[in-house]
Amino acid sequence: MPMEEKIGVYVCECGPNIADKVDIDKVVETISSLPSVNVVERHKLLCSEDGKKFLKESIQKNELTRIVVAACSPKQHEVTFMKVCESAGINPYFFQLTNIREQCAWIIDDKEEATERTIRYIRAAIRRVLYHKALEKKEIEANPDVLVIGGGIAGLSASLLLASGDRKVYLIEKTKVVGGKVREFAKLFPRMEPCSDIISQKIKEVENNKNIEVHTDSEVSEVLGFLGNFVAKVNTSENKAIEQPSKQAIKEKGLENKELELKVGAVVVATGFDMFDPKQLPQYGYGKYDNVYTALEFEKMNAEGKILLKSGKPPKQIAIIHCVGREKVGYCSRVCCMYSLKFANYIKSKLPNVKVSHLYTDLTVPGKTYQKFYEQTKEKDVEFIRAQDIEITESNGQLTINHKGTHNPKPLNADMVILSSAITPSSDAHKLAEMLNISQGDNGFFVEEHPKLAPVSTSMEGIFITGCAQGPKNISDSIVQAQAVAGKILSSIIPGKKLELEVKTSEISEALCIGCQTCLTVCSYGAIYFDEIKRVCVVNEVLCRGCGNCVGSCPSGAASSKHFTTTQLHQEVVEALR
Amino acid sequence: MKEKNGNVLIIGAGVAGMEASLLLANSDKKVYLVERTSYIGGNVIKFEKVFSNMECATCMLAPKQQELLANENIELLTLAEVIDVKGSAGDFTVKVRKKARYVDLQNCIGCSACFEPCPVSVKNEFEEGLSERKAIYVPCPGALPNVPAIDTENCVRFKGKDCQLCKEACMFEAIDFDQKDEELKLKVGAIIVATGFSTFDSKKTPHLGYGKLADVYTAFEFERMFASNGPTEGEIKLRNGETPKSAVIIHCVGREEKGYCSGVCCMYSLKFTHYLKEKLPEIKIAEFYSDLCIPGKSYQKFYEKTKTMGPEIIRFNEIEVVRTNGQLTVNYKPDPLTPKPQTLNTDMVILAPAIEPDGNANKLAEVVGIPQDEYGFFAEGHPEIDSVATQKEGIFIAGCVQGPKDIQDSVAQSEAAVGKILSLR
Repeated sequence: MPMEEKIGVYVCECGPNIADKVDIDKVVETISSLPSVNVVERHKLLCSEDGKKFLKESIQKNELTRIVVAACSPKQHEVTFMKVCESAGINPYFFQLTNIREQCAWIIDDKEEATERTIRYIRAAIRRVLYHKALEKKEIEANPDVLVIGGGIAGLSASLLLASGDRKVYLIEKTKVVGGKVREFAKLFPRMEPCSDIISQKIKEVENNKNIEVHTDSEVSEVLGFLGNFVAKVNTSENKAIEQPSKQAIKEKGLENKELELKVGAVVVATGFDMFDPKQLPQYGYGKYDNVYTALEFEKMNAEGKILLKSGKPPKQIAIIHCVGREKVGYCSRVCCMYSLKFANYIKSKLPNVKVSHLYTDLTVPGKTYQKFYEQTKEKDVEFIRAQDIEITESNGQLTINHKGTHNPKPLNADMVILSSAITPSSDAHKLAEMLNISQGDNGFFVEEHPKLAPVSTSMEGIFITGCAQGPKNISDSIVQAQAVAGKILSSIIPGKKLELEVKTSEISEALCIGCQTCLTVCSYGAIYFDEIKRVCVVNEVLCRGCGNCVGSCPSGAASSKHFTTTQLHQEVVEALR
Repeated sequence: MKEKNGNVLIIGAGVAGMEASLLLANSDKKVYLVERTSYIGGNVIKFEKVFSNMECATCMLAPKQQELLANENIELLTLAEVIDVKGSAGDFTVKVRKKARYVDLQNCIGCSACFEPCPVSVKNEFEEGLSERKAIYVPCPGALPNVPAIDTENCVRFKGKDCQLCKEACMFEAIDFDQKDEELKLKVGAIIVATGFSTFDSKKTPHLGYGKLADVYTAFEFERMFASNGPTEGEIKLRNGETPKSAVIIHCVGREEKGYCSGVCCMYSLKFTHYLKEKLPEIKIAEFYSDLCIPGKSYQKFYEKTKTMGPEIIRFNEIEVVRTNGQLTVNYKPDPLTPKPQTLNTDMVILAPAIEPDGNANKLAEVVGIPQDEYGFFAEGHPEIDSVATQKEGIFIAGCVQGPKDIQDSVAQSEAAVGKILSLR
């Protein structure tokens, strides 16, 4: 047991809150009689300005080395008193707060019992504080530059907000051009605004921003490191071209494969989405019948000009089928109803006399302006049928849609069918998940740090997700998430400012570790790595958030949490129960 | 050129306003957070749990609230309203009227000794009128800052009587009748409006019986009834004190009147089945909906899970709630239509009303100088590509002030507004 410490114990009365329920005189008398304690004082309200001043002066006057405060919940005033310790010149971790208000005074009616319990708690805290170690705040340098993976609308939007004179952005795009799937869209729902102006404006801004380095035809092959200090490898064909959708010209420079090494402080995953492949559901006849189209195929056909059947003739009856693949993927993609309505508008503006029928299950039109779009579309003589168990057959070029509709379950004839497929995670999501050590949900989308309060963060500090990589959403919400990522990065990695690290991290004893790597599997933050040479696990203090998962799982007792060591907890409990 | 002011004004201390404040404060910006009520946390702290992970909402928010109150870069102004905004991006002058709390934030320790002697008792609006409070009060146990306020409209001292019972009960000399309302002038470079929402007044759909039939409740009333820090401490009971054996939840209340789908009511209605089944496993439940709106990657799974708890989930075309022989009856035409309308007897009806703009939105829009859309929500700079900007440079919107949305999307918008502000150089 450590010796020669000068311990001060301070009992707060919290006005009548503790004083009325606990016999403070008896507490002070009992604690004063303990041989290890140097100073015992009581105060009416220790958290008041007067109380804090009293505490500071008493610590200094008595040259104390360990402090115990018996007062309220640590949630309320632990930080307050740690600050007092610091200002009195003592390491704030040489302090222990024991809660005699919520855990004694407020819950025990019998004064004698409450007093006895209070004394036990204080004794336990004294015992514990003797085993405390001085902990120091650490800081690291952070690189403000950002790697953005994916050059769709989310990646472009994030890059534009992030790039500045003192922050460079590397935008990595797998395909030949930036702009993503939105480039294919003629118009945006619900206002039917032309899309090309918007996307080409964004592309132009990115192109003109000298702080954004775009690499098309490029893929990230490795990301190592941690918040503020990542090193990424990028395979690129060094083709710096940006296609202008208006000009439809690609500036080729000659393709030459090359590996780039980029140093960044944060990584943004904006890899977008794929669409559910309707070939997986043969009842829709996609790939079998000529005039059954996917949504993206129809979007492209419309954007290129005319809506025509394979025969070259204009269609007379078009059926739009919602929710294709919804059951299979297990979620509603949020946007299919709306883009299906948009298709009806495309059709009605080009071919006003074509009969358009929607076959849907539930109309998902959330948000302030979407229902109106539905109503306006309906007014254009568009039919809406609630339908289930859809099956499409063909005879002599005529498509027939059989269904169990709820109102008029008659087979429906059409010469063209558009399948509104679900949004699915991008096909290479699993590769990125593995590379970045971020998790995917059971539906394949990347998992956010917290489903409500941290939608664009991941459990890996410094790695962010945005747009449809995080889950199916519309353009507006994708851009919001991209801007949100910028908000998170700009507010945490500031050029010239160091990052303050968690103090109460875990540590793994090299001598005790048997190299079983159990801790690696339970760490949510990727904060532990295996040292192949020494054959032991090592904690990266930059990433560790001190959750203690590794401590609980370690079979050899090698892992411990600073400030929550087994010895500290054991001594505290033993004394409390003595 | 004049140096741009880096301070930021945030109006509304709900989940969106709090997130924006914390991010900006961590980037060393000075933040003025103006909140109309006496507490922080907005509507979310009224919820016992949030869908779809059913996490305790107050526990979820508590660390953020504590962090906010402890952050030295954030100046929280409660009981305060913005009454004037002048200037332009980078150089706004804002006038704030701050009502006196009459309780000193520093001296008060939140022991609540002052409540008991107060002779006044009025309906607690935070609890949707389901319980009473004193004229010196905190809205609910656990509200932060944990410092009561005196409601001068009801306090007898402010009506001329010489009462100072609360002051006498206070051991910390925290009560100060001499505090005065203040008018503050703030200089900021940017403004985020995050004033949240109200819900559609269910009395405007008289066929559902709210306000006339005793055991027809609104969603917020039911939230507070279920809340462990609420008026019944979480006990679900009817007005006569009995435990309900059956409950009906009606979605889409006010959807037709408002002309939009709020996007969250189906989800919170499904959450109510979880609430009911948790406390009363034997209760019979029917959920009535028009379109099941459960968008996003995780919501359908929640719906599937809810279904296993056994509620009847019925699509309706028309619905009304009446009382026959002392019993609540739901008359409805199901979809698909059957020849005869159906009826269902129930002990309790919970209405899921639409989200609508906050009651003060019109006034604030005028003060801040931002147009509202046809529904009264604040209009975006561009609805599809810039939904957190407004037509006024330097002024941003986040959360339900822009339109109905869930917590995740509100937080994303507040982080986005921060992104826009911090990228301005």
